[in-house]
Amino acid sequence: MYGLVALGYHITWATSRTMNFSQGHAVMVGAVVAYAVFVGLGWPFPLALMLTLVALAGFGALVERVAVRPFFLRASPAWLLATIAVGIIAENVAQLSFGKDARAFPSPLMRKPIMLGSAGFYPQELLVPVVGLLLMGLVQLFYHRTAYGKQLKAVAWNPEAAGLMGINIPRAVMASYALSALLAGVAGVLLAPLLNVSPQMGTIIGLKAFAVAIIGGLSSAPGIVVAGLGYGLVESFTAGYVSTRAREIVGFGLVILVLVVRPWGLLGEKLSRRV
Amino acid sequence: MTDRLGWAALAIAAALIPFFTSNTYYLYVVISVGLLTIVTAGLNVLVGFTGQTSLGHAGLYAFGAYTAALCVTRAGTSEGVAIAAAVVVTSMVGAAVAAAALRVSGPYLAMVTIAFGLIVEGVLIEWGSLTGGPGGIFNIPKPGLRTHYWTVMLTAALALWLTANLRRSAWGRACLAVKSSEVAAESLGLSAYYVRIAAFTVSAAFAGAAGALFTFLNGYISPDSFTLQTSILFLLALLFGGLGRIAGPVAGSVALTILPELLARLLDYRLILYGSLLLLSIYWLPEGVVGAVSKARRSRPASLEFSRSPVGRGQGEGPEPLLVASEVSLSFGGVMALAGVTLAVNRQRIHAVIGPNGAGKTSLLNVLSGFYAPGRGTIMLDGQSIAGVPPYAVARRGIARTFQTAQVFGDLSVRDNVAVGVAGPRLGSPIPALLATPGSRAREAALQSRALVLLHALGLAELTDEPADSLAAGLRRKLEIARALATEPLLLMLDEPAAGLSPAEIAALDAQLTTLRERGGPAVILVEHHMDLVMAVSDRITVLDYGRVIAEGGPDEIRQNPAVIEAYLGVTT
Repeated sequence: MYGLVALGYHITWATSRTMNFSQGHAVMVGAVVAYAVFVGLGWPFPLALMLTLVALAGFGALVERVAVRPFFLRASPAWLLATIAVGIIAENVAQLSFGKDARAFPSPLMRKPIMLGSAGFYPQELLVPVVGLLLMGLVQLFYHRTAYGKQLKAVAWNPEAAGLMGINIPRAVMASYALSALLAGVAGVLLAPLLNVSPQMGTIIGLKAFAVAIIGGLSSAPGIVVAGLGYGLVESFTAGYVSTRAREIVGFGLVILVLVVRPWGLLGEKLSRRV
Repeated sequence: MTDRLGWAALAIAAALIPFFTSNTYYLYVVISVGLLTIVTAGLNVLVGFTGQTSLGHAGLYAFGAYTAALCVTRAGTSEGVAIAAAVVVTSMVGAAVAAAALRVSGPYLAMVTIAFGLIVEGVLIEWGSLTGGPGGIFNIPKPGLRTHYWTVMLTAALALWLTANLRRSAWGRACLAVKSSEVAAESLGLSAYYVRIAAFTVSAAFAGAAGALFTFLNGYISPDSFTLQTSILFLLALLFGGLGRIAGPVAGSVALTILPELLARLLDYRLILYGSLLLLSIYWLPEGVVGAVSKARRSRPASLEFSRSPVGRGQGEGPEPLLVASEVSLSFGGVMALAGVTLAVNRQRIHAVIGPNGAGKTSLLNVLSGFYAPGRGTIMLDGQSIAGVPPYAVARRGIARTFQTAQVFGDLSVRDNVAVGVAGPRLGSPIPALLATPGSRAREAALQSRALVLLHALGLAELTDEPADSLAAGLRRKLEIARALATEPLLLMLDEPAAGLSPAEIAALDAQLTTLRERGGPAVILVEHHMDLVMAVSDRITVLDYGRVIAEGGPDEIRQNPAVIEAYLGVTT
């Protein structure tokens, strides 16, 4: 499940060498919008999902327009902070309209746990990795099999040459941000029944997903998927055997370790400096 | 001078406040401004000078606060000892974090620092026996508010003074050089990694001091004060005030402490306000509200020593070649950029490397200067192997270079660019630089006057105080050469120095290279397309094509060589 959100970092990083530090907030926005439409307005679920996805793509595009494009060419931490700023604003807006308290998100897949011996789990928990892997596969297909996906890859490879070939770079970057937020939105809808919906839910998910992206290698989608699974396992083990708080300490300790040993991630490409 | 008046006014205002108000609330607010100023002044060294973002300074702040609290409550030390201990501990933690984290930069570094902050927060909550867990530590003996007011204000003033000193020293220039062009900084012998660790450590020490003072403000600390939001607030204050400006931290701290207090009723909207402020300040105030502050006053060196030659290091004598590269190969993926290149450069001679585009000339320079490690082959400089040695270490052995696209340090003045080269790796400890000790000042004056000598020699004397950013292309190349010469190299490598120059400028370059050789200057490897220049100044010429040496000899031999003519004109003879 972290893999899905982490893939969003990969997508924007791959096209533009920037990323949305508020990816976690996109997850939150997804969950909150879905809650508002599905539970609040009582729309049927498929319609609510559609609307959420559209809203998220719009959110991604907005982030790009407001926080990334103005600083795209400036080699500074500006875009990093600007995306954080947008995330902060999104959190506060959500808080004002939604309230501070966490709310449960009903799901038919959360009613009965499936029992496996003494341990039980909800079908929803199974749904998350399944949909996650499915979407990751689709994203890969999109990149390797469609013309537009290839264009985005071309931008990643060499923006100048891609621009000369008639690819609209700002639009390509915006598209990648929209796609990235879309994935986060799906993750938000999937996670909502498991975690409860609250405006504060985004920060920690975003950070963990970022950790996963770094561990797997920002430039490698398969690396991120593997790291996502691995990170989830390590977390549940630590939570099970040590304590819930230790979970985060171990998780982020892992990131530092990976960065020290392999700064480019497990499966990422080693970036060579251009001189 | 207006700078000084501004600082004096600020100091007087801060000093008068306690006499005009007995309201402890106001004192409390001003102390908070002071604390934020101390942290952001330190952060300025890291983010503003060195260009690395940290989102984990709340973790360091926490280290300072808890160290001080534990010193007083458990070890029963005095306040002063506790603060000193906090600074020492936090610096050490900062150095350790930096050594691990600074192997990466940019967004990766942001992530590592975020992770560090969260780990600290987690440990504070978990390790209840030491830190008091989520509840924190209570009943810390604290000084009276007025006494504390003076302590904090003096520390804040000290913090600003220290960063101002650092900015004016060789260290400050090294930080800005690394921020501006890591590649060029390394070519002058600076290790970017080392400079960043030093900057991070200094900023950690400041955060530690502020954390300790925070402890003695409230007499109570808990993990709530040291979250990721706190780290973001630190960075926001710095950005809003003015990144890299000495007064930036003051302006940012005042704004970000007082604004929320004024808008206390709008508590629910506070995050929106922060977010918007952050966005707006990045948009419209890239240099913060202090962006317009005039340049720091520079001290003029007492005298100019024109008599000294621009070439200082003893060049050594002897017939054996200075640099011998043999059978050097380099491949990118499947492409052989260099296929067994052999090159011998004699002392004090100008050796040109020519060849068609893509022949591997720049790759050769990059291998010789350590930016790429050769796949095979040996490189000996003055009898020592330099193959696979990192660029800054190669530079320290005596190779200086320029780049195909001139890499000047844009934020620095012309004189400071050269001064970075003069100082090279000899930065000493950052502590004298922070304190501006007499020794450090004397050294600084020597560096500056040496830089001026070089600028005169290369005809840049009139531009000494211009920012390097504002120079035209030809002058940038000249500046790059001056900066490279400032390191007193044994070997100077010029990568297309004449590209984009006017005929008059090329003639001047020709004269400079010849003068350099006459005065017993360094050996020169000249990569150049401009054949008139090459033929006029070179002692020997090596011709590369497809990564191989196809000819070597004096200018006349090369002119006649059929293989060279074929490579250039594509005709078979």
